[in-house]
Amino acid sequence: MKRNTLIATTFVLILVALGISRFVLQQEAEAQGPTVRAPRFEVDPFWPKPLPNHWILGSAIGVWVDERDHVWMIHRSSDTLAPQESAGERDEAECCAGAPPVLEFDAEGNLVGSWGGPGEGYEWPQSNHGISVDHLGNVWIGGNGGGDSHILKFTRTGEFLAQYGMAGVHRSPGDPGADDYIPTFEGDSNDTQNFGRVAKVVVDPVENEAYVADGYLNKRVAVLDGDTGMMKRFWGAYGNTPDDTNLGPYDPDGPPAQQFRNPVHCADVSADGLVYVCDRANDRIQVFQKDGTFVKEGFIAKTTLASGSVWDLAFSRDAEQRYLFVVDGMNQRIHVVLRDTLEEVTNFGDGGRQPGQFYGVHSIAIDSTGNLYTTETWEGKRIQKFVYMGMADVPREPQGTVWPTNSTQ
Amino acid sequence: MRVRLAAAIVVLVIAASVPGIAHDIPNAIVVQAFLKPEGDRLRLLVRVPLQAMSDIDVPLRAQGYLDLARADDALRSATTIWIAREVALYEEDARLPVPDVVAVRVSLPSDRSFETYETALAHMEGPTLSEDIDLYWEQGIMDAWLEYPILSDESRLAIDPGLRPLAQRVTIALQLLTPDGRVRAFELHDDPGRVLLDPRWGQAAARFVRSGFTHILDGVDHILFLLCLVIPIRRIGTLVGVVTAFTVAHSVTLIASAYDLAPGALWFPPLVETLIAASIVYMALENIVGAHLMRRWLITFAFGLVHGFGFSFALRDSLQFAGSHLLTSLLAFNIGVELGQLVVLAAILPALHILFRFVVEERMGTIILSAIVAHTAWHWMTERGSQLMQFQWPTMDVIRLTTIVEWAMAGVALAATIWLARTLVRARGDRNRAKRVTGAAESQ
Repeated sequence: MKRNTLIATTFVLILVALGISRFVLQQEAEAQGPTVRAPRFEVDPFWPKPLPNHWILGSAIGVWVDERDHVWMIHRSSDTLAPQESAGERDEAECCAGAPPVLEFDAEGNLVGSWGGPGEGYEWPQSNHGISVDHLGNVWIGGNGGGDSHILKFTRTGEFLAQYGMAGVHRSPGDPGADDYIPTFEGDSNDTQNFGRVAKVVVDPVENEAYVADGYLNKRVAVLDGDTGMMKRFWGAYGNTPDDTNLGPYDPDGPPAQQFRNPVHCADVSADGLVYVCDRANDRIQVFQKDGTFVKEGFIAKTTLASGSVWDLAFSRDAEQRYLFVVDGMNQRIHVVLRDTLEEVTNFGDGGRQPGQFYGVHSIAIDSTGNLYTTETWEGKRIQKFVYMGMADVPREPQGTVWPTNSTQ
Repeated sequence: MRVRLAAAIVVLVIAASVPGIAHDIPNAIVVQAFLKPEGDRLRLLVRVPLQAMSDIDVPLRAQGYLDLARADDALRSATTIWIAREVALYEEDARLPVPDVVAVRVSLPSDRSFETYETALAHMEGPTLSEDIDLYWEQGIMDAWLEYPILSDESRLAIDPGLRPLAQRVTIALQLLTPDGRVRAFELHDDPGRVLLDPRWGQAAARFVRSGFTHILDGVDHILFLLCLVIPIRRIGTLVGVVTAFTVAHSVTLIASAYDLAPGALWFPPLVETLIAASIVYMALENIVGAHLMRRWLITFAFGLVHGFGFSFALRDSLQFAGSHLLTSLLAFNIGVELGQLVVLAAILPALHILFRFVVEERMGTIILSAIVAHTAWHWMTERGSQLMQFQWPTMDVIRLTTIVEWAMAGVALAATIWLARTLVRARGDRNRAKRVTGAAESQ
């Protein structure tokens, strides 16, 4: 009898102890703030592998993942390197030299292709911008330099295929031969032949149409025939006819602007045929049907000023593409957004130079297994990989730097 | 040889009539293929990157775009030269003749139709690409539909892919669709030689006995474990007990793994490899401090379970060659392992006997040998352990801890309930027995 009493008491004591532990842990969980079910990521600090030939990246201005899970990036190489960074180019030191502008990595992070730069038969942009690989395997490149009013198309090995639009149009009035002439450019968002500093081109494989985020000078989305580059249609914010009037600085408390602000930074097509446009400085995503009919809009970090919060986006790899991953180079983070409501559920990343941190995070792409790749412009000058760790309960609040959990630090 | 020469002449003739292209052999390609016997025909659907079709002059338009209107002849030549003549298919050991090329076409790099046989076949039967598509030739994909005459769709088939010349590294993802509706998947690399797609049980068994035998002889860690196991054992009865425990245990986990009952996570193989090294360290240390030989079979059984997982990793990639004889192949692999063990023991036991009789006293010899083995295994353990630590462990956050505590509460509550029920049943039984005793006493 005594033995039974002892065993029963032990059971009760263990249950009481566990109950108290659960209560304490619950208090702790509540103190940490609410959580939300969302995709979780961790930075892979070892991706990609080191570049050969003492090559170094300049401002990294575009990223894409192709059908083979090869990761493509474009950067501005020597044009954006400080003299100390490019001493190898002048034989002042062994290191370093700007890598070719277009780089192709395999899934393991090995560099398997590199090309780009001026060549015969086309006008390489003054400041290349954005990269994508279409369903035919062709590589599309824009440019946001002063006179960049064109788009280039290459094969995946860098053979030139086509140039749509001419460089240097939309020049401001004046005599280019005059001593006091300073070339400036003005947008013309109704030009059907040329563009205005294109940020990104994405091809819809269903219709073989190229969606042009146009751009840093123009304020529109333009749609081209994928084979000929012929412009088929274009539109401004809310599907309005685009207007190049200067809207002045963005006011978070003002009424939503009826036109895009510069730059129109992305125009990506979802699997269900909607067009998601990054209206960067207006801190918003606008959604359209393929014919330009406005569907809805959503604001992200709406109080962000200056360069804005909606820089580029990628769709999650589930069949419904439930989430959008929106890079924000001002707040230095990736917003995880529900695609159907355009509501942010969480975000991760922070400013800094360590793995998983950002300086001017500019572009984003996703591979077939849901891993994210980002590139950073300005002095960020790098590409990073964020490994998809599955769905998890993550803080609704900013997660900060998503450091690897197996780290001993 | 004559066939190749004739093919080369055909190529040269074609080359003279269309704009030429030259290119390097690609670094790595993936070839997708479906093989389906149906009645007296064997259907092969195969997809290869066009850039792997060396020396074939595909007609081009301006800027290197494929001239799809004129591409058919070149594609058929490529299919004949690089696939139809190179892929050797066998029916019951007889090589099948060069197949009919039923259809050939170019697809876009983004095309997904070769994910299943049905979609691939529908794709081959469906419309071809529009001739005005601007597809740069090197970015195209070539799909081919080949048919071989066979005697029966029940025949046993074999394949020697012969696609090694297409790239520096060739991976062939092949699916065999049997008449009974099963799909057997193979992943072949470079030049695997003749692969029996549906081996007889004897063929499968012979292959896996060889595989098990060579695995144990190649695996230094398994040999060192065996050495540690038998160093202090001099009695044949104890030896048989211990070796049997090891054999039974590793058979259990090896078969369980083959039936997908082992964890599939990436961290599992390095965990097992680390534990195998740890098992050798443990055995060696136990020999040094003095082994409890009567209990050795128990710990050997436990370590045998771990080693069985290790064997399964060696077997994993080759199980595709077992055909429909999975269990036979597993048992055959085990027999191979046992034969290997016997060979190792046959070498070790007399050597130990001689060593302890003529060179060094048994106890001292046991300590020295075990120390050397422990030293080696310790290094393996730390190296493999550091690999294991590279893997992500689940984050132990507050939410996860709460879940664990809740499961623990449920477990304790269940245990308490079972204990209570058992106690009550016992108490009732005691009371009944007491009553019967009392009743019996009263009736007397």
